[in-house]
Amino acid sequence: MATAVLEARGISKGFPGVLALDDVSFRLDAGQVHALVGENGAGKSTLIKVLTGVYRPDRGTLLLRDEPVTFDNPLAAQRAGISTIYQEVNLVPQMSLAHNLLLGREPRSRLGVTDTTQLYAEAERVMTRYGIRTDVRRPLRSLGMGTQQMVALARAVSIEARLVVMDEPTSALEPREVDTLFGVIADLRSEGISVIYVSHRLDELYRICDRVTVLRDGRVAHDGPLDELARVELVALMLGRDPAEIRRDGATKFTGEHTTTVGEPLVQARSVSCRPVLRDVSVQVRPGEVVGLGGLLGAGRSETAKAIAGALPVDAGTVTVAGQQVRRGSPAAAIRAGVSLVPEDRKAEGIVPTLSVRDNIALAALPQLSRSGVVSDARIDRIVDSFMRRLRIKAASPHQKVSELSGGNQQKVLLARSLATGAKVLLLDEPTRGIDVGAKAEVQALIDELAAEGLGVLLISSDLEELVEGADRVVVLRDGAVAGELSGDQVTEEAIMATIAATGETDG
Amino acid sequence: MSRISGLAAIALAALLATAACAKSEDSGDTPAPAGSAGQQVVQSAGATGPTCTLQSFGGQRFDLKKDVVGFSQSEKEANPFRIAETKSIKDEAAKLGIANLRVTNAQSQFAKQISDVQQLIAQGAKLLVIAPLNSDGWEPVLKQAAEKKIPIITIDRKINAQPCTDYLTFIGSDFYEQGKRAADQMIQALGGQGEVAILLGAPGNNVTTDRTKGFKDRIQEKAPGITISFEQTGEFTREKGQQVTEQLIQSRPGTKGVYAENDEMALGAVTALKGAGKSPGQVKIVSVDGTRAAVQGIVDGWLSAVVESNPRFGPLAFSTTQKFLDGEGIPATVIISDQEYTTANAKESLGNAY
Amino acid sequence: MAELAAAPRVWGGRARLLTWLQEYGVYASVLALLLFNVVFTPHFLEVANFRTQLIQVAPVVITSLGMALVIGTEGIDLSVGAVMALASAMVVLYLGYGAPVAIVAALIAGAAAGAAGGALVAYVGVQPIVATLALLVGIRGMANVLVPQLTEFRNPTLITLGSRSVLGLPLVVIVAAVLTVLVAFLIKRTTFGRQLVAVGGNRAASRLSGLPVRRVLITVYIISGLLAAVAGVLATSRLQASDPTSLGLLMELSAITAVVVGGTPLTGGRVRVLGTVMGALLIQLLQATLIKHNLPQSWTQMVQAVIILAAVYAARGRRA
Repeated sequence: MATAVLEARGISKGFPGVLALDDVSFRLDAGQVHALVGENGAGKSTLIKVLTGVYRPDRGTLLLRDEPVTFDNPLAAQRAGISTIYQEVNLVPQMSLAHNLLLGREPRSRLGVTDTTQLYAEAERVMTRYGIRTDVRRPLRSLGMGTQQMVALARAVSIEARLVVMDEPTSALEPREVDTLFGVIADLRSEGISVIYVSHRLDELYRICDRVTVLRDGRVAHDGPLDELARVELVALMLGRDPAEIRRDGATKFTGEHTTTVGEPLVQARSVSCRPVLRDVSVQVRPGEVVGLGGLLGAGRSETAKAIAGALPVDAGTVTVAGQQVRRGSPAAAIRAGVSLVPEDRKAEGIVPTLSVRDNIALAALPQLSRSGVVSDARIDRIVDSFMRRLRIKAASPHQKVSELSGGNQQKVLLARSLATGAKVLLLDEPTRGIDVGAKAEVQALIDELAAEGLGVLLISSDLEELVEGADRVVVLRDGAVAGELSGDQVTEEAIMATIAATGETDG
Repeated sequence: MSRISGLAAIALAALLATAACAKSEDSGDTPAPAGSAGQQVVQSAGATGPTCTLQSFGGQRFDLKKDVVGFSQSEKEANPFRIAETKSIKDEAAKLGIANLRVTNAQSQFAKQISDVQQLIAQGAKLLVIAPLNSDGWEPVLKQAAEKKIPIITIDRKINAQPCTDYLTFIGSDFYEQGKRAADQMIQALGGQGEVAILLGAPGNNVTTDRTKGFKDRIQEKAPGITISFEQTGEFTREKGQQVTEQLIQSRPGTKGVYAENDEMALGAVTALKGAGKSPGQVKIVSVDGTRAAVQGIVDGWLSAVVESNPRFGPLAFSTTQKFLDGEGIPATVIISDQEYTTANAKESLGNAY
Repeated sequence: MAELAAAPRVWGGRARLLTWLQEYGVYASVLALLLFNVVFTPHFLEVANFRTQLIQVAPVVITSLGMALVIGTEGIDLSVGAVMALASAMVVLYLGYGAPVAIVAALIAGAAAGAAGGALVAYVGVQPIVATLALLVGIRGMANVLVPQLTEFRNPTLITLGSRSVLGLPLVVIVAAVLTVLVAFLIKRTTFGRQLVAVGGNRAASRLSGLPVRRVLITVYIISGLLAAVAGVLATSRLQASDPTSLGLLMELSAITAVVVGGTPLTGGRVRVLGTVMGALLIQLLQATLIKHNLPQSWTQMVQAVIILAAVYAARGRRA
């Protein structure tokens, strides 16, 4: 077997409360483009950070060309020939393209000052190789994202890199720019340079990657050549499902049947676009209906929910609630219309950690709970008390800080916040992720209950089982567009995975 | 970016509007700014060390009346001292018939003062009168002036350089002497007995150091009955002077006298005493500077005496130059005489105060 | 194993101590300093002394209240001292129309300055520290242009404001007390106050919850400017002169110290009104103690620095 450019053996890395990597082995051969995939929390970014010297593993060894090695810091990894380019390009936007490209390695004249003529010539030569024809004297920020990405790549490769890590490099690129990037990657491969390629776009993976490692819950779920793996199998691996042995009627608390009224849609999103993350997405939810949003990470599920909730600046499309168009880009307007979002990232976008349970629940409903700007404590206490009881929120008192509660109870607080606004439509983004089994069951039962009362629910979940059992209908997204819609008996895990895996061009 | 400049424009417009319709308090009985120092007796009070002549300096005679004379002021004319200083130079020039006086103001920026002086040299100045902002950092200017043999007279602050080589002479007050004279006034006001507090100037300033040392030395020498029980900085500002005095009179009611190292702090002390219900003269205040408001304070009975720090350098600066041109020897330091305002002369001298 | 189990307990004890310090440290310090002075400082237990301390601290308390609100939103307002100077300049400029008009003009100027800073922060997205630093420089300059040198006034109404007492309490102290109650009410009982702390605690969550985040931010800076202007007017009336060159210099530092020492975290999401008042009192007492014992006041700045570090450390330790 050929010498591996980089090999990780039995890597484990833990953080307080989580084991992010559990005995992970990974091998990268010269001239290979290696896909690294996995859903949220699978351990991809931790693995990359271990490989590039940002973290040191708790256990396990790294081998560079079969020699054991430890990287004390990212610079050490860089010196060993490992370069990383991130989604956000970390270059100096005010400086010219040429200066960025050759930063620290500028050609010098005999006097020791930068020889600008030579600098520009050299930069032009390099960029032409990458298919970029532009004035290299222009400041970087005045150039398109694709060009900037390419400069970052060119810079990474030119520092004698043997291995380039690309983390979602195409997320901000136009299709034409993607083609150029892939051309460059092909060149790199032919020069024997290896690439670790992180992406969720199946089409891209199958276009350029030789091998794939699937991570799930900190462990390697699969490792092997990509062309031997069917798309649907890859999707199943990423989502943690084995298509061969899917259990029917599992452990979720969903009853699976709602008295779906066939009424007018409560909320209707028509051709909502927010390039490049969303293209022409249409979804509608009727009273008493739970509509699931399926798809891989980065397919645009959260963005769809945010667009409906007014929290994403959309370029086109409309959202109507009960026939009335809702003002774009205003969460307040959406809440007034009766649409409320429970975001995916509880910590970053959900709870206000410095406030009490009570104040967190009342937060979005404050205008309704006050008179001429002065809040009514009595009304707040009443509404907080009723929701704490109904959702069985376990807290020492309503005045306990929300940050002291468990994840499940925090999630219930956020649900209570949405319900307290008198919402008619709930947009729930991964409502059961990261909470304990008991709370999960309670939240699932609550979703059923709310739908039974006539609320409309848009449910986003990476847990296929939850989606299948909880939703009456599932809209599957792929690369920011609707890939298909399943309803009734069609709502099965296989069908969802097949829709995700179907080769592109279904958005027409 | 354009939004920011838009906001800035709005703010500026608001400011202009503000200034346009402003109407300040009717300044009925406020006396007009100090007149020229014509009546003031100014003369060289002390001449020490070797002297400098036109010959030893190596310069050429020029005509004070016809040639370009440059004056570089350090701070903007926002306090009485600077206003009086610039006015004195201009008035004396007019009086002597100096036709080509060029005046610059560095607005408290040292870099600007350096370039101001370089401009004056470029304009062909034959004499430079400089009120320096700093004592150090003058080498580039001194070098240029030395090449053209332009005599430099610095006023009110010394620069660190060689007299008669790098510059001609320094004309200024003796701050140590001011402190001693203030002590004499305090001794007289208190009859040589009692507790005295000092309101110090800004810390780390040579004016503060000298005025403190002079005062203390003199008290020790002349009045063993006076004890200095308290010294706190009032940072040369009226507000701090007021605040510190408020604390002082409350916790040390036995304090009989306050020596303020400038007039502003003394006036702050007066406000504090008024606020505490004291009557004029209950606590004796002596200060240094000689501003109009402080001298008025003597007239009103709140201050006992003010030792002047004379800003009127015009007559002395030009007479020194004339002597130099006439071949006389000029000492390295020329001390300007400072007047005193006491209960005996305050009323008549009010018009002289700046 | 035993060691592993023991470690978190020790840490827990320290965390509890830090929490206690952040919550009650300022009260304990004020109490300790009072006791020290009662024992060691002559003439301390006199009504006149407490009057002096309260009068002197009033402008600091008022600016600190505004600062507390701004810091509650995870911001900072470095312009408060300059705004005091601007207000002072406005007062003498408009005194010709009578004291009420002059005071209103000063307050409007303060609110406008706050609005400028708030607009930069809320709508342009400039970092609060940068926006208000720019304002600090610009507004101090503006005040100096408007009133280039110390200007005395004799308007009896304005002088009364700074020197008169009602029922034995100095007017400036009454104003500070009333404003403290108002700000406490604002924080505890109004929609705006609740939204303010939420914006400071988690801006993204506040936005998703439909809060008018930008409006809250700009309003907070307007209030801070307004309160700084009130402080400037009071300080001016007390001095019986307008001195824009030196009035309010380094006030921003005192205000930030008062707020942080009072238990409001610099990371926002929380506003402690009474703690802020206590923080201002602590600085005042510290300075008074030094002056009364004839010790260099420069120590105050050093002690202030130590206190800020301690408070920030306590806050950090709690978050960890």
